[in-house]
Amino acid sequence: MTPWSAASIRVRLTAWYAVVLSLMLVVYATATFLAVRHEFLEQFDDQLHDDFENAEGFLTSTRDGQVAWSGDSRHDPDNDEDRGSDVWLASGEQVYRSGASASLPPVALASTTAQRRYESIVANGRSWRTLTGTALVGGRAVVLRVSRAETRLRTQLWEILVVLVLGLPVVVGLAGVGGYVLARRALTPIDHLASEARRITAERLHERLSVPNQHDEIGRLAAVINDTFARLESSFDQLRRFTADASHELRTPLSVIRGIGEAGLGETRTPAEYKEAMGSMLEEVDRLTNLVDTLLRLSHGDAGTVRLARSAFDVGQLTRDAVSSLGILAEERNQRVTVDAAEGLSVTADRLVLREAITNVVDNAIKYSPRASSIGIRVYADGDRVHVTVADQGPGIAAEDRQRIFDRFFRLDEARSRDHGGAGLGLAIAKWAVEVNGGRITVENAANGGSVFRIVLPTGTPTMTSDQGYETQRMREHT
Amino acid sequence: MRVLIVEDERKLAQVLSSALKAEHYEVIVAPTGDDGFFRANAEVFDLVVLDLMLPGRSGLEILQTLRQHHIETPVLILTARDGVDDRVLGLDLGADDYLVKPFALPELLARIRALLRRGRPSEVFRLKTADLELDLVTRRAVRGERLLELTVREFELLEYLLRHQGHLVSREMLAREVWKEPRRATPLDNVIDVQITRLRKKVDGEGHARLIHTVRGVGFVLREGEP
Repeated sequence: MTPWSAASIRVRLTAWYAVVLSLMLVVYATATFLAVRHEFLEQFDDQLHDDFENAEGFLTSTRDGQVAWSGDSRHDPDNDEDRGSDVWLASGEQVYRSGASASLPPVALASTTAQRRYESIVANGRSWRTLTGTALVGGRAVVLRVSRAETRLRTQLWEILVVLVLGLPVVVGLAGVGGYVLARRALTPIDHLASEARRITAERLHERLSVPNQHDEIGRLAAVINDTFARLESSFDQLRRFTADASHELRTPLSVIRGIGEAGLGETRTPAEYKEAMGSMLEEVDRLTNLVDTLLRLSHGDAGTVRLARSAFDVGQLTRDAVSSLGILAEERNQRVTVDAAEGLSVTADRLVLREAITNVVDNAIKYSPRASSIGIRVYADGDRVHVTVADQGPGIAAEDRQRIFDRFFRLDEARSRDHGGAGLGLAIAKWAVEVNGGRITVENAANGGSVFRIVLPTGTPTMTSDQGYETQRMREHT
Repeated sequence: MRVLIVEDERKLAQVLSSALKAEHYEVIVAPTGDDGFFRANAEVFDLVVLDLMLPGRSGLEILQTLRQHHIETPVLILTARDGVDDRVLGLDLGADDYLVKPFALPELLARIRALLRRGRPSEVFRLKTADLELDLVTRRAVRGERLLELTVREFELLEYLLRHQGHLVSREMLAREVWKEPRRATPLDNVIDVQITRLRKKVDGEGHARLIHTVRGVGFVLREGEP
């Protein structure tokens, strides 16, 4: 992790903000400075122009035809260090020179025309701006040059530059502090969320984050997190229930075995009684074995490590097979089982696993339907899906139990189911077996009050993960 | 018949040993992988019952060496892992059969009988016990003078019981061999019970001596007299 990514969002935001602001300010200050400088220089040239006009006015023609300087005190160049005026005759003779301009070099008279010319000159370490042009005095052409030292102008520009340059870090610093404060204020709710979320542990999963405003970004984030907590809570509940149920189911046969063993050892019994006791123990062992097998299979299913041997086969045929092997149970209960299966409906799935699903659902229907009722099984196509429905004339299933009926160990009627020998895993296995084959299993109530279990399977090759494909292939190699 | 049991779990080894002795086999128990390895290579057995998870040398290793030395004694693997890999690997390495723990003793005995019988022609067309007779060619079953009207499944069930007459048969064995259902499934246990009840009515009904007995917690046995 670089130091940059280790910094908090608010520090990073502030840093970005400061960098962007600095760049913008540098551009802005540069533009401002250039514009001001341009304006100043123009003004300066205007002033020179005015000086030129004034100086022209001071030039007079004397009676003897000479050119004379009659500057008034207000414009006496001798009083001003920064301003100067020079006048030459066309012959090159200098008619007037102010004190300030003494250090300036003379103008090249030949190149001087009526067109006035601005020039920047450096003399004796001082910068000057000059305006040179010709003027007519009493019919004689003279060359007139007015000059101003740029010292003050440069000082002013320098001061502006200093203010701009020195002000920049101060402004950026202030903006950075402001940005940091703002970012912190904006991000504080996230810190709140974090500390609230940290408080919600496995033992306090029912708690939720407070959502101050559910429409802003933070509110939406909190809602998403709350949603996650809700799902987590329900998985935890399911797991807790499962663990409790599993240990209950495992303990019951264990305590029966223990009880029979202890009672058998308590006093001497006849061999027949011992045989009876041992047989009874073995029955419980069978139950335990079945239970452990089933739980192991479900946990393999959960872990996604089940190997499927997929092939294409006729679902109707499979359903008839499953029903015919269970038919005898229905006969015992005087129930009529009918199979109405369309021909040639093929699905690609693991035949044995799917058969188990159908067997479990049909067995469930036989167990919980009243004697002498009928159970109708239909297999039909619906678009690219195949439906297998098992409708019974039982009591139906209350809406609130309909989802839970596929949960592990869920039993509608505890006492009744125990007699049937099931641990409440048949439908859980069925659900797993259908879903691992890319299908869906649901239960609804029929119009006549019974329940209808519906298995929906895709007809085409179900999309399989590469893992499953690999396992399937290995399975084929080995069989 | 000499059977070598390689099993480190003392209690299980004892149970297997006494069950096999009761069936009149000569039993030698090797409690470790190394011991089993040594004995299997040095002595002659008719069958080896081999646990896969052993301290020291693993069962698979023993099996592999046996086959490398061209010792073709039938080997029955016991494994606690219900994974396909173990089984497939074991069978690939030359095991003849496998059982997943916890297994039912009657099943183990049946498998051992089958393995020891292997190679000898056992083609029979007629199965008989007491006054019950099955003709496997015409698919007719007769008890005494009476022809039994059996469904296909009932006939197959009776045939299986007769083939194992005098021996216990578990529900799991019936599910796999008669119903061809490879998995233990609760619905099928109920189906088997109902089927046995019906078969018993037909075979043992009408004053005949009882032949099909239920042994609680284990399964069924077809034999004359008491179970």
